[in-house]
Amino acid sequence: MSKEKKSTPKQKKAAPTPVATAVPVANAQAALVQGSPVAPQKKRKVVSLDKKKARAGWFFVLPFVIGLILIYLPIIYDSIKLSFNEIIPVRGGGFKLDFVGFANYKEALFDDPDFVTTLTGGLTQLFIDIPAIVIFSLFMAVMLNQKMIGRAAFRAIFFVPVILSTGLMAEIDAANILQENMQSTENMSGAQVENGTTQIVSAMEVSALFETMKVGTGLVQTVTNLVNDVYNIINRSGVQMLIFLAGLQSISPHIYEACSIDGATTWETFWKITFPMISPMILVNTVYTVIDSFTGTTNSVMSFIQGVYDGGSKTVSSAMAWVYFAIVIAVVGIVSAILSAYIFYQRRD
Amino acid sequence: MNATENVKIKKETKNKIRVDFDRTSAWTRFRLKYLSLRFLGTVIFKLFRLVLLLGVSYVILFPFISKIASSFMDPLDFVDSTVKLIPKNPTLNTYKQIIVENKYVEALINTTILSLLCGLIQTFVCCVIGYGFGKYKFRGHKILFALMLFTMIVPHQTLQLSLFMKFKYFDIFGILGLLGMDTIDLTNTYWPMAILSITGLAFKNGLYIYMMRQFFRGVPDSLEESAYIDGSGTFRTFIQIILPLSVPMMITVFLFAFSWQWTDTFYTGLFFTGRNSILLSKIITIPRTLDVTYAGGNLFSAAIRNTCGLLIIAPLIVIYLFCQRYLIQGIERSGITGE
Repeated sequence: MSKEKKSTPKQKKAAPTPVATAVPVANAQAALVQGSPVAPQKKRKVVSLDKKKARAGWFFVLPFVIGLILIYLPIIYDSIKLSFNEIIPVRGGGFKLDFVGFANYKEALFDDPDFVTTLTGGLTQLFIDIPAIVIFSLFMAVMLNQKMIGRAAFRAIFFVPVILSTGLMAEIDAANILQENMQSTENMSGAQVENGTTQIVSAMEVSALFETMKVGTGLVQTVTNLVNDVYNIINRSGVQMLIFLAGLQSISPHIYEACSIDGATTWETFWKITFPMISPMILVNTVYTVIDSFTGTTNSVMSFIQGVYDGGSKTVSSAMAWVYFAIVIAVVGIVSAILSAYIFYQRRD
Repeated sequence: MNATENVKIKKETKNKIRVDFDRTSAWTRFRLKYLSLRFLGTVIFKLFRLVLLLGVSYVILFPFISKIASSFMDPLDFVDSTVKLIPKNPTLNTYKQIIVENKYVEALINTTILSLLCGLIQTFVCCVIGYGFGKYKFRGHKILFALMLFTMIVPHQTLQLSLFMKFKYFDIFGILGLLGMDTIDLTNTYWPMAILSITGLAFKNGLYIYMMRQFFRGVPDSLEESAYIDGSGTFRTFIQIILPLSVPMMITVFLFAFSWQWTDTFYTGLFFTGRNSILLSKIITIPRTLDVTYAGGNLFSAAIRNTCGLLIIAPLIVIYLFCQRYLIQGIERSGITGE
């Protein structure tokens, strides 16, 4: 089968030159190798529907293929090359690259005092944030999927961050002292600015509360940090909520009906029906969240790399970015491998 | 058995009967319906849900409210400890100075052109590519799709220097170099963004292509088959049957593409380095006439930056108010699944 398919384009090339001697050597050899000396003109007229569809498919994805080959892959190649080189400015405005091997990577990983710390700090933060975002968005999507008064209004409000709190607004918010100040009960004079951060839960009180329960201060600290970070988490879970909502809508209501007839409680229905049915979406959302938070501009590692880039050492920043990217790929791979084992697909076809 | 005894069936006409039966007393009905544990649970759950949703809504909306409030505040209000949300000396001066000194109108026009250009191109291109991925199985479509996901995963920040170089010394696929001509400098024009959009490589285009693909996978094949049988070609079918069908999804994608381009700082910062290209993402500076040092200076400059942000997203808010239902509908119809 596959040999047949392979031979077609070559036959097409040979088609305009029916005289055997005029065929270029390479094509003639190719035709010989394929071993199909069928008269090319007869075959050309009949194109099977599959082949036609395949051609149409290529046509539709053509813009992407062109971009990939002519822009994206060269850029990737350049970037990798750059991370192994040093830029040396040449008089007259140009520059030249000098191959330095792994020196940039060495500088990023061992010589730079802050990179590894930022990296580990950022990664730990993300490992806390990502489950929080996924769980929160699932919870909220389940809430927003129920019938209630004002559902449309709540949905409209919940998806405001998707549109409005990205990029630029996120950057403004990241350095926003005013908002914290307004929520605080302290006065708004300049003296309070430095320590005027309000926290929804005062970490001290909660720690005191849990100390007797022997949960461990680390856990309590994590939880209180999460609660105080709720604005950030809500802002970053908009798209995930949309995807979960779409998933929840696609679960057939008959299943729920059957469940309620059999006497299942809402709690049981959630864990036995909603959760397995939505599990493919959990994978999608986890991967999306990983990618989104690893590559977002507000991410501490990303902004650190950006800072190095702006600071002038462009090749080192390129090396850092590739180290970071390798970690992202690894995390995506591990997460999807772990989750795939637990995912329930309604139909396997 | 009791029930059947109480029921009285009267035949009124040939095709109509009338059934009378004793109703349970109002009190019993009330008691069974409302004085049960189940009802109590429902009420508590509903209250909890309402409070939770209101709380989260508050968390989402409060930043906007505080920004709006502070944008009307006079410098004096920032040193007054009694002022919280409602300004004592409301003023429009902040807005006025930003609009005049930061060239807001010019930036607005430029950004609108850029975002519309990118949004429209990206929507159409991602629709076409998504259709190719969703409906056709050609050789290597799996590898190509994996590469598409790869473009989504690699942060463009990683590639920023190479990206910049590519468009700073733009060489149309090496043709210009062969002809012995100089490369073209495309920075500070709309071309880099347009080229990235046409090839489906711009910001988050992988997500749009994925959304479109999932949508088209949900469209039944029989629709196209019937068009083919009626003698319509592939491209006519696409334009006349598939495109009209995918309008809700395209609106969703357009909303994403437009607004994410609107608030983008990375690409505009990378490609628009000149002083002459005024875009909305570059006007977040403090107007000279408002730059004063006093006790509340920190807060005031924060308020000015917030006001800049408000002015920037004001058009988006208007668009969102009108289009948010398309956003939700489009996503719901897409039936994005993890398969």
